[in-house]
Amino acid sequence: MREVIAAPRAGLDLRAHYGHHQSPAIRAGGLIFCSGMLPVDPETGERLHGTLTSEAHVIFGNLKLILEAAGSSLAHLVQVHALIYDSIEYDVLNRVYRQYVADGPPARTVWAAQIEAGFKVELDVIAAA
Amino acid sequence: MTAKREVLPWPQRPHDAAGTSQVSMAVRGGDFLFISGLIAVDPNSGEPMRGTTAGETRQILTQLAQLLAAAGSSLDKVVKVNVLLASMLEAPNMNEVYARFFPDPPPARTVCGARLPDGAKVMIECTALA
Repeated sequence: MREVIAAPRAGLDLRAHYGHHQSPAIRAGGLIFCSGMLPVDPETGERLHGTLTSEAHVIFGNLKLILEAAGSSLAHLVQVHALIYDSIEYDVLNRVYRQYVADGPPARTVWAAQIEAGFKVELDVIAAA
Repeated sequence: MTAKREVLPWPQRPHDAAGTSQVSMAVRGGDFLFISGLIAVDPNSGEPMRGTTAGETRQILTQLAQLLAAAGSSLDKVVKVNVLLASMLEAPNMNEVYARFFPDPPPARTVCGARLPDGAKVMIECTALA
C-alpha cells in the first residue's frame, strides 16, 4: 500500500505553490519517503533564501512538521541525502545538522549539486514510519 | 529470515542503457523495487537518444513504465523519484511532461542539477512497491 502524506501546513504543499508534480511524502513498506525539502515558509510557501545555516534551520523545521504529521519524527530518520550548492560549506552544514539529528544519527550522503531556485541546501530523507 | 534479493531482467535488451552489464536495471529487495538511473535511449538500437529535456523525459518515462510493468509493478506504485537534470533551468520542461505520466496524487520526488554521462539532459531513478 502506498499512502500519501498530505502537507500539514499550507506552505509545504509545493505542488499548489510551484506546480511541482509531487506529493510531500509517501508512506510505504514501513518507511516514509519525503520529497526533497526546501527552505520555504511553512505557512505561506514563500521561498526563504539565506545562508546555508538559515536555510537548513527552516528545512529541519519543515521536515519535523511533515514527519510528525505522518506519525514519525526527526529521531526516526533512516537515511539523509544532503544536497549543498558548494562542498566548501560542508562544515557549515555539519554544525547545523548536529543540532537536529540525535545520537546514533541516520545514514547520510552529502554532495554538491544545482538546487532549484538557487537555494543553498536541500534535504532528501527517508524515515521509519 | 532469509534475505530476499532478486535481479529483474531488462524487458527488451540484455544490457543496461550504457551498453554494459555492470548494472541491473531493476532489483527487488524487501517490499521494494529499485530502478537504476535511466537516461534516454532508443528502444530498438539501445543507442543514447539526445533531444530536448522534454523529449528525453518522455522517452525515459515510457521506458520506465515498461520496465515497471515487466517487473509486476507500475507507475502507480512508485513511491519516490529522483530526477537529475543537466540544467535546473529546464525543470519546468521536465515537470510538464512528468505530470502526464504519474498518477494523482504523485509520488514523492527530488529534482536537482548534476553533470550527467553521455551528454544526457535527464536521468531518472525511482523506488517502487514491488
